[in-house]
Amino acid sequence: MTRGRQLELSWVNQEGLDCLCVRGWTGAELRELGRLSATELGRRLGVLPSELVEAAAHIRTLQPIAGRFAINEGSICFIPRFPFLNGMSYSLIVYSGLVVGRAGELEIWPIQRPSPAGAPTTEAVAIYPTAEEVPVNQLKFYIHFSSPMSEGWATRAVHVRRADNDEPLNDVFLAMDPELWDPERRRLTLLLDPGRIKRGLVPHEEASYPLVEGVPVVINVDTEFRDAAGQPLRTGMERRYEVEPAVRVRVNEADWRFHCPTLGSRSPLTVEFDRSLDHALLEHRLGVNNAAGAPVDGRGSVGLGERSWQFEPQSPWEEGRYVVVVDPRLEDLAGNSLIRVFDRDLMRAEDVPVDVRAVAVEFTCAPAPQPLPIKPIA
Amino acid sequence: MSLTVDSHKYGLKVGTPGIRSVGPLVFGPEGILFVADNVGATIFAIDVGAADAASATGPIEVDNLDTRLAAYLGCSRDDIFIRDMAVHPSSQEVYLSVMRGSGAAAVPILIQVGKDGSVSEVPLEDVPFSQAAIEDAPAEGDTRSEVRLVQGNREGEIMEPRPGYRLRIARDQLRTITVTDMAYVDGILLVAGASNEEFSSALRRFPFPFKGNAQSNSLEIYHVSHSKYETASPIRTFVPYDGNNNVLASYTCTPVVHFSLRDLKPGTQIKGRTVAELGSGNTPLDMVSYRRDGEEYLLVSNARHPLMKIACKDIDRQEPLTQPKEPVGVPRETLPQEGVGRMANLNASYVLMMQQDDEGSVHLHSYNTTKL
Repeated sequence: MTRGRQLELSWVNQEGLDCLCVRGWTGAELRELGRLSATELGRRLGVLPSELVEAAAHIRTLQPIAGRFAINEGSICFIPRFPFLNGMSYSLIVYSGLVVGRAGELEIWPIQRPSPAGAPTTEAVAIYPTAEEVPVNQLKFYIHFSSPMSEGWATRAVHVRRADNDEPLNDVFLAMDPELWDPERRRLTLLLDPGRIKRGLVPHEEASYPLVEGVPVVINVDTEFRDAAGQPLRTGMERRYEVEPAVRVRVNEADWRFHCPTLGSRSPLTVEFDRSLDHALLEHRLGVNNAAGAPVDGRGSVGLGERSWQFEPQSPWEEGRYVVVVDPRLEDLAGNSLIRVFDRDLMRAEDVPVDVRAVAVEFTCAPAPQPLPIKPIA
Repeated sequence: MSLTVDSHKYGLKVGTPGIRSVGPLVFGPEGILFVADNVGATIFAIDVGAADAASATGPIEVDNLDTRLAAYLGCSRDDIFIRDMAVHPSSQEVYLSVMRGSGAAAVPILIQVGKDGSVSEVPLEDVPFSQAAIEDAPAEGDTRSEVRLVQGNREGEIMEPRPGYRLRIARDQLRTITVTDMAYVDGILLVAGASNEEFSSALRRFPFPFKGNAQSNSLEIYHVSHSKYETASPIRTFVPYDGNNNVLASYTCTPVVHFSLRDLKPGTQIKGRTVAELGSGNTPLDMVSYRRDGEEYLLVSNARHPLMKIACKDIDRQEPLTQPKEPVGVPRETLPQEGVGRMANLNASYVLMMQQDDEGSVHLHSYNTTKL
């Protein structure tokens, strides 16, 4: 620290960017600094994160924060190239004594940024599947949040434990870098380690499935997960699953039950599946077309446990044929689609992939029940 | 001195690319750097200048790279996320894709590392560039989106579910492809990625120069384990070798596979030949090829296993694996370099490695190919 004169550091907002303003220079210092070019000024002064200054063996070897200094009526302002971060401490470094007699002396002037304000507001709002049972070869989970999130927390803040003895199950999820998010960073996709799910691979032989058949598990989203503002969650979330035998059968629309709506009504068409299907894919791999092949306007929704799908038309159902159109890439919880089994046994003829581009199931709407006609007594 | 390429040659236009995030990097022809932006679902081709001659041929050693970046970017070391590393093929300058911070405050930055360890930002204003969307090849008419209520009037659209009852809603596209690796081979940018929904296995091919809104075409990649089971297999990291005739790739599910680039024709299905399995709990991080004594070798860095060296001639000889017993597959040698993540060819004589030490600090070290 210097002797004699006291520098005063403060944050000043310039055009939306917080800059570091330094006052308290002597007249001689300001005159000398004022004569320097921007490059020379950058050699005399620098700003660094304080934690790096404290840890550095040789401060002079640290390249300072990108930005520029501007001299302005008694003050010198540092305009950073990248915004200062809240909650951090920064230090102004005066690399050499500006006044005669202080050559070689290094000055360090720290200043703290305000802490991030506000209480946590973001919540984990859903964990999919919502089915109570998952197969032991379950392939993925989706976690939905109420606001955009930060990356880098998936493996730290999502845990799996045995529901029977609360022991943690480790290495269940594949550590993805980068993580799998939707563009808004509100839905996280977590893959269970596919190397441990696929039969025949070394990870499967060595460590078996990530889940254990017959051992219920709890997926926990911890509040330490950070949202886009860097805040922890207001509430986390848990969901319990029973773990059932592996499923390795193609999804087949012939195994579904179609509950046809009533003609002239806007009551929903309901499709019941023989097993739980993937929530994300269900939202866009099913639709309803009219007899002319045009999509029917309406709203599709996924039923509880991902065991059904409903479609409510915008206009009442009309006479004639309708078609439920299924994109065959629709998958169940274990990654089996209408085309192929996730890891198919090459010896099983029935598992040979099917070459289909679209699956269509016809239906007509049932007429509204009529009162029985009254027959005259003969 | 650096020269700018003839922008028209590659369909580049001067402007400021709207980069929302930086991820995998790879150099294309004449100093054009491909940058994958996973948040923006876009690949940018940016002319960073074609050096007239190699300004340096020696090794590069940079200690405490993460601390240098934290100092330069004004943040904690914890806020530095080095996404990828690439070396300019003619100037041998090192480029990094770095995210500073995360969430809404995350800033994407391209960094150039000087031989003396100094770091500088690669300017992205008024540079020649072009871009291509990372299409998820959605089914025709797939307009699926998630509807959410929004406050204020900055985003979304007004919906009136019943008369007099108005809501402002936004529709979010949910499906994305997250790019995990890229390679440039003879006018084609190969892009490996993972879907956030289906267990997609597509390897996308982008002809370069990018052609307007023309979509990439893609290849389905399948994996057969031990002649018994077959699965779709997303590629996580890969490297062309043998004069770009062959590719060694690692899948998300750990096998290392070979396939021929000659087989990479649009609309085809590729079945990789498994040449090695790396065991459970391990994730391959990066691959690089180099020549030593006239022979070509590949290095594979791993999350849990040591750095591995594989002779390319052994890959060609390796029969497809039929038994899941370790050690399986192509002979490989363990190298002593520890904590290796990203790797790149600095020049014909050196391989550059990004290494993390026991305290978590990141360093750049160059290794002479005669000693690898």
